[in-house]
Amino acid sequence: MIADCDLLIGREVTSGLRQPPDQLAERLAQAAIDGGAVASLRALQFDVRTGNDEAADAAQRYGWWPVYGIDLRDPLGAEQEMDRAAEHRVHLLRLAPGRQQIAGTAPRLRTLVRRATELGMTLLVEGSTVDVGAAMMGLGASVVFLDQHFYDLGEFILLARDEPGFHLSTRLLGSPGAWELLLEHAGPERLLLGTRAGWFEEHAVLDQLHASALAPEQRELIVGGNLRRLAGRSS
Amino acid sequence: MIVDVHGHLGPWFFFPSEGTAAENLRVMDTYGIDVQLVSSVEAVAYDPAAGNAALAGAIGDEPRLRGLFVIDPRDLAAAEQQLDELRGSFVGAKIHTHYSATPAGSPAMADALRVCADADLPALVHTWGTEILDLADTVASVPGVRAIAGHMGGPAWRLAPEALTRTDRLWLEPCYSRPDAGRVRWVLDRVDPRRMLFGTDSTLIDPALAFGAIRAAHLSAEEERLVMSANAIDLFGLDLWRGEEPPTALHLTGPLKDERPGANGPHGVS
Repeated sequence: MIADCDLLIGREVTSGLRQPPDQLAERLAQAAIDGGAVASLRALQFDVRTGNDEAADAAQRYGWWPVYGIDLRDPLGAEQEMDRAAEHRVHLLRLAPGRQQIAGTAPRLRTLVRRATELGMTLLVEGSTVDVGAAMMGLGASVVFLDQHFYDLGEFILLARDEPGFHLSTRLLGSPGAWELLLEHAGPERLLLGTRAGWFEEHAVLDQLHASALAPEQRELIVGGNLRRLAGRSS
Repeated sequence: MIVDVHGHLGPWFFFPSEGTAAENLRVMDTYGIDVQLVSSVEAVAYDPAAGNAALAGAIGDEPRLRGLFVIDPRDLAAAEQQLDELRGSFVGAKIHTHYSATPAGSPAMADALRVCADADLPALVHTWGTEILDLADTVASVPGVRAIAGHMGGPAWRLAPEALTRTDRLWLEPCYSRPDAGRVRWVLDRVDPRRMLFGTDSTLIDPALAFGAIRAAHLSAEEERLVMSANAIDLFGLDLWRGEEPPTALHLTGPLKDERPGANGPHGVS
């Protein structure tokens, strides 16, 4: 089973492209990705409540795991939506500071990460340790950086020594040996398959997976086991 | 009479808001705005197809709210198709250069303005910085289109008079969340007052900011008549109550009321 930690439905206003749930489902089927954690661009760009409901509906229909987006432009509303996620037993939150044009140095970011951590949430963060890592450090936070480029893999490895909750998505780790370097220094528990299928070329990541020399137990963690653990799912 | 040509309807993601027509009307009543031209927040920030349709339904028969049809220049086929269905619900168009990632000087913007011209819809175009000059040049290149430079270029407002020299089919709308002192007066001293329209960016920005900027400009009676309503009525061809009294009291109320003698002169309402 392959589960993707970086699935998005909706319309992206910056590109004008859209991907409704059925289109994503078809795309995943063609790529032999079985599912994953889905968030709504509507939630990240426009309206968290209806957007997250949309993600939840899609997740239920297709057997994916719902991710609630929060809007950092509305920090008070973000708190409320975290509470709503907790009520709905959703353990994954998506943060999009770049998309929402909130600097990684904005104090609200650290405050909201602390709150999410207190609620037992895992944060799927659009960004890297370079952009937003400082806001996440020292809080015991559970974080998946969705946009960590292999240029900055070394920084992640340094931080990971003190941050057991820090994880990376595979999406931009597209250099030879990048995954192996991470596994060597931080372990397979820190890497999650993420493709952002439909928005990013998922086959680039999948080909890297297929070409890797992962041991079966490492592979199982990366393609689903880690995500299941962070999402609080047993299956 | 006050006509606000730059309004939005829908919830904002910056803060909790209802996003209903009732919310617009409540804010309008607070400031004595009679008519507001509104575009859908959803259409601007997320999806024109869904947002435009929802807006048409939301403003329905409410005579104080008139629709601005949001166009994404990257998908003009969809815009034209939807315009065929909804044209009657809109008095103008709205194009946001930032959200649609379409610079004001781009060929795609020219194509979008051509659609507006063909549909006889004046277009409110978001402008920020020097792109106000680019918009002027684009408007000049598209026969028949009439456009309004939303925000008057924001921080680049000193370029507004130059922009108007490049075409006689461009108007200015100066709402700005960081209004520099003396901005509106400075521009009005250099342009024909028939080329400026009143706008607030409500419900994103409190109309107090726009009214404060207008108040500081000490409009003459003729400037006030033109800027606060007449220019908009002419440009958008607004059909307002056919000589009947508008449905709300047209007086400054609430926090804008200044009890100092003569303090409300600049934009006392007619």
